[in-house]
Amino acid sequence: MPRPALLFALSLATAGAGALALESAGRVEAQARNPFLGAPEPGAAEPGPAPAWRNTSWLNSDHPLTLKELRGRVVLLNFWVFTCYNCTNTVPSLVDFDRKYRDQGLTLIGIHTPEFPPYAGEHDKGNVQRALAKHGIEYPNAQDNDNRTWNLYGIRYWPSFVLIDKKGVIRYEGAGEFHLNDGTYDLWDERIRELLAE
Amino acid sequence: MSTAGVRLTGLMAAALLVVACAGPAPPPAELRVETAPIGADTRMTLVAGPDLKINARLKPALELADGTVLRFDSPRLTADSAYFAEPPWAQLAGSRRIRGTLRASVCRVDELVCRSVTLQL
Repeated sequence: MPRPALLFALSLATAGAGALALESAGRVEAQARNPFLGAPEPGAAEPGPAPAWRNTSWLNSDHPLTLKELRGRVVLLNFWVFTCYNCTNTVPSLVDFDRKYRDQGLTLIGIHTPEFPPYAGEHDKGNVQRALAKHGIEYPNAQDNDNRTWNLYGIRYWPSFVLIDKKGVIRYEGAGEFHLNDGTYDLWDERIRELLAE
Repeated sequence: MSTAGVRLTGLMAAALLVVACAGPAPPPAELRVETAPIGADTRMTLVAGPDLKINARLKPALELADGTVLRFDSPRLTADSAYFAEPPWAQLAGSRRIRGTLRASVCRVDELVCRSVTLQL
C-alpha cells in the first residue's frame, strides 16, 4: 500500500478506536442515568463489609436492630415498599425463609424504602404496619424514609436483596420478584443454607 | 492503489467513521406526557412505551412549582389491579404551559422489579 494510503488507513483506525472507546464510556454513563436499562440477575457480590445502617424507626422489633448485634447470624436484607407489586409478590417466599431459618440463625430484615415523597403515604408508619399485617410479615422492618440505607447499599430496584454472612460480610446480592419454590427461590434458599452452615 | 481503489477506501472509511461516531443511542422515550384541551382546561395523559407498565398502586404524580400535586389515574387496571391497562391521566386547570416534576413507578414487561422515574417537564 502506498505510504499516504497507509497513513490514511492508520489515522482512520485510530479515530475509529477512539470513537468506539467514547461510545463505550457513554454507555456506562447512560446506564447510570437511564432507569430503563436492565436489572441485574441475582449473583455473588464483591465480598466486603456490610455498611452499618442507622434506621431509628422499626416495626416488629422492640429496639432498633444494629448490624453489630447481629454478628454471628446470617442476615438477609429485603429492600421493598408496600406499593410495589413485585415486592409484595415476593413476601410469601420471605415469610417462608423466616419460618424455616430464624431458629437456625437467619435474621430477615425488611428495609421499607418509599419511592415517592410523603404525599403518597409510603412514609406513614401506620400504613407500613397495615401492610405487614396484610402480608403476614413477622420479621423486623426498618423504615428507610430518607433512603439513607438504600443509598448506603447502592440499591436501585424494588425489590432488592442483600445476603450478609455471620462475619458481617456481604456475600450475595440481587433484585427481582420470585415465588415459593421457583428457581430464584431455590437459589436464595441454597445461599442461605450455605451461609448458615459456615 | 488505483483511483477507484482510493475512492472505495475513502467511502468505506467515511462509512466507518459515521458508524463509530454515532455514539450510544439516546435513552428510549418510553414515558411521555401528551396534552389535549378539555374545555378550558388541559388533560394530561401519561403514555408508556410498549415495554413498560405503569404502577397503579403508586399513582404517577406531577408536582407543580406552586406545590400542587396532581395524581394520574384511570379506572381501567390490569386483572391483578397492579398496573394501568390504559394510560392514566390528570386534569390541569387552565391551559398554561406545564412546568413541574413528574414521578412514576414503572416496570418493564421483561423484568420483575419496580423502578422510579422522574421527569422534569
